[in-house]
Amino acid sequence: MSKERTRQVRSRRTRRTIAGAATALVLVGGGFAVANASTGTSGTQKTAGTQRPVDKNAKGVAAVVSAANAFLNTLDSDQQSSTLVDFSQANATAWSNLPCAGTCRPGIEFGSLTDDQLAAAEHVLKLALGSGKDTGYEHVLQTLKADDVLASAESTSSASAGPTDAPSASASASASDTASADPSATATDTATASASASDTPTDTPTGAPPSGGTGGGPGGFSYGSGYYYLAFLGTPSKTGTWQLHFGGHHLAVNITYKDGKVEGASPFFTGVEPTSWTADDGTTYSPLAKFRDGLLKLTGSLSTEQLAEAKLSESFGDVLLGPGKDGDFPETKEGIKVSELSPKQKKLVLAAIHPWVADVDDATAQQLMKTYAKELDETYVSYSGSTDLTTQGDYVRIDGPSVWIEFVCQNGVVFQDQVHYHTVYRDHTRDYGNEFSFS
Amino acid sequence: MTGPRNWLTTALLRLVAGIAIAVPAALLLGASPAAAHPMPHSVVQLDVYRSSVDARLELPVDELARASGIDLTDTTTAQLPAKAKAVRAYLLKHIHPTTTDGRAWQVAIGALSLSRTQQTSTGPYRELVAKAVLTPPAGADVRRFTFDYDVIVHQVVTHVALVTVRQDWAAGRVDGKGTTQVGTIALDTRHMTVHALKVDLGAGSAWRGFVAMVELGGNHILTGTDHLLFLLILLLPAPLAVTAGRWNGLVGARSALARIGRITLAFTAGHSIALAVTALGRLDIPAWPVEAFIAASILVGAVHAIRPLFPGREAVVAGVFGLGHGMAFSFVLAEMHLSTGQLVTSLLGFNLGIELVQLLLVCLALPTLLTLARLSIQPRLRLTGALLTATAATAWLAARLGLPNPVARAADSAGSHTTLMLAALTATALTATAWTLAKRHLPRPDRTEPAEPTDDHDPALVG
Repeated sequence: MSKERTRQVRSRRTRRTIAGAATALVLVGGGFAVANASTGTSGTQKTAGTQRPVDKNAKGVAAVVSAANAFLNTLDSDQQSSTLVDFSQANATAWSNLPCAGTCRPGIEFGSLTDDQLAAAEHVLKLALGSGKDTGYEHVLQTLKADDVLASAESTSSASAGPTDAPSASASASASDTASADPSATATDTATASASASDTPTDTPTGAPPSGGTGGGPGGFSYGSGYYYLAFLGTPSKTGTWQLHFGGHHLAVNITYKDGKVEGASPFFTGVEPTSWTADDGTTYSPLAKFRDGLLKLTGSLSTEQLAEAKLSESFGDVLLGPGKDGDFPETKEGIKVSELSPKQKKLVLAAIHPWVADVDDATAQQLMKTYAKELDETYVSYSGSTDLTTQGDYVRIDGPSVWIEFVCQNGVVFQDQVHYHTVYRDHTRDYGNEFSFS
Repeated sequence: MTGPRNWLTTALLRLVAGIAIAVPAALLLGASPAAAHPMPHSVVQLDVYRSSVDARLELPVDELARASGIDLTDTTTAQLPAKAKAVRAYLLKHIHPTTTDGRAWQVAIGALSLSRTQQTSTGPYRELVAKAVLTPPAGADVRRFTFDYDVIVHQVVTHVALVTVRQDWAAGRVDGKGTTQVGTIALDTRHMTVHALKVDLGAGSAWRGFVAMVELGGNHILTGTDHLLFLLILLLPAPLAVTAGRWNGLVGARSALARIGRITLAFTAGHSIALAVTALGRLDIPAWPVEAFIAASILVGAVHAIRPLFPGREAVVAGVFGLGHGMAFSFVLAEMHLSTGQLVTSLLGFNLGIELVQLLLVCLALPTLLTLARLSIQPRLRLTGALLTATAATAWLAARLGLPNPVARAADSAGSHTTLMLAALTATALTATAWTLAKRHLPRPDRTEPAEPTDDHDPALVG
């Protein structure tokens, strides 16, 4: 009985909840209408947000704070409260690389913003990530564009033809592909079993797609540049501690500010699918090419003996220290120690690290690179799979006293006939500005 | 006329109670762990029995190939047996349950099969499904053990295995639907090791098993359209009298009620006895003859509703056919690999659930049956009902004898619309009750039972 009945009860519940919410809205709206009528303004206006000081001539972190305030000033009070959240460990670590829209990360949804608000938000990102060519801002913008490509591929659903399974690519758990290798299991057994297998994980964060976004991925996931989220954890200021979070599918930017300085530019997750595409205007984008090429130059410079030393015995299907793995750095570093490399190779290591670090403002990036250069001899380079970064499971890691970078090739999810990239940059001591301890 | 109303209240109360239990349960089941990455994970699904645990492993073929070197990517089902030995050897190397004091369990790998599936955000992929039987040393606890398992995870260090429980009688998980998560097996990245999972399924008790079996019994009869249809079609002509081999006229309400009572009781006795004997005797009866017999019983009931075949002996027939239905009920219990103690408790609970719901449904149908019999369109309605039932029964009979057909599938699926069915039954029962009450309270001079014959029937229809 219960499945069907439960579903109906649930939907009845949902309807009741919606009805409740609608009633509440009407009541609240009515309240506003009355309040506004009594002060003589129009009835539908939302409550204005708090206004914060803006200084157009500010430099450095002060400029980021000013831009953040200018953005906040464009928001009404509800929008301000989605954007400004507490700088707590729970909020800071609540980022994801998944296309789970606003269900797995804090912040205000880009798709919900007006043009003016969006421009103000983008200005914050430009100042925080660097605004020149090949800067963090450009990189992030291209990541959003890639997600629009996924969204349109999903909506036309022409892209999901798998490479190896032509006839049954669209079938999920089809019984036709199922049969038993053991005579003791009957065909019906396996057929039902495979059907139940497909519905075992019911962990899809579903929900009505928010306005302004496009596309719906497998399992109710949301693709598209509308599903990216900007949050300030703590209040942006030149003196206190706060963090900027900008994230969405394949992206998590976390920059922690303390007393007017950047205390940490990590964790920074950046990935992309498709790895390269040509837009309608003929421009070809490959947002992670620079990141990949640095690693290719480095691994390409290694001799056979060095490669043998750098090779990891384990296989990787993803980065090791993705979301939720804060502070879980391996206690023993693996691979080849950079002190064993030639001066030329050492430079290649630094050059390979640079693209990740360059996704924060220039001054901070320089500072961080200086630190990583100082620690270079104690840094390790390792890889798994092959070094050409073209096949599922091809993996490179740079692990130093501070720096931690991982790059992995993974089978495509939307474009299943090609790999896509997942990468993460962490810092052993500077993640979230070292404001939290993960024991 | 307060009887039916009381029953209706009870029925609705039960329905509400059922919903109150089902909703939180479903919500809890829905709360699965968040997948942190779009790579498929493994699932280890456990069925916990009294002295052993069955495990069903769902392993993504890609990851398995990278971890074991056994590539099943292009392996067809026909080619799988050739690789089965290597797969089993690999699995045995990576599955080591032990008792909490470190004594090893026995592991046996059973059937292997390949299928396609999909998880949240992974896109479709191939998986290998392997069955394993895990047996602790004699006397050791099956509910508490150390699950040293690192299939795939030992090599593909970003891989995750979710361990879930599907069936656990002593914890009240008996319906085979949905799973609860026990834990996750993943790499400890700090130490680059995979820790064994401590499995503790709690105490478990016969009471929880019993309650779950009551619920299962209730669900079973509610969703098993065939059992229900058999009983209802036998009850349909119960208020009617027989003259010259035809249904003609009415018997009094009292004797109609007595007939309904007798038929229901006889059916109950029949299926209870057969259920007890087959289950306790652990008789291994093939399913299809029993299922076909049930279909035939419905067909006989439908014919009887059109034209009396065994007037006055409905109870005997209900009892005899009830035996077949009881055997079918026992299949549910046989699948559960229960110990004798659990089996006895289960039998009681399962049967109680069946009887409670059956009683509820008969009581819901009662006012309708009694009222319908007095309507002038009764013959037409009875004939329609009987013909529909006969169609379903014939389709079932064909399907169970090896001729699958859409009518049988449709009839089966009717069992999944239980809310609709209950609502319809309740609504007609209410209407029937209201109609009867209205008739009684009408200020008519003549308040006697409608003894005037309803024999304004069309002889052609009454057959």
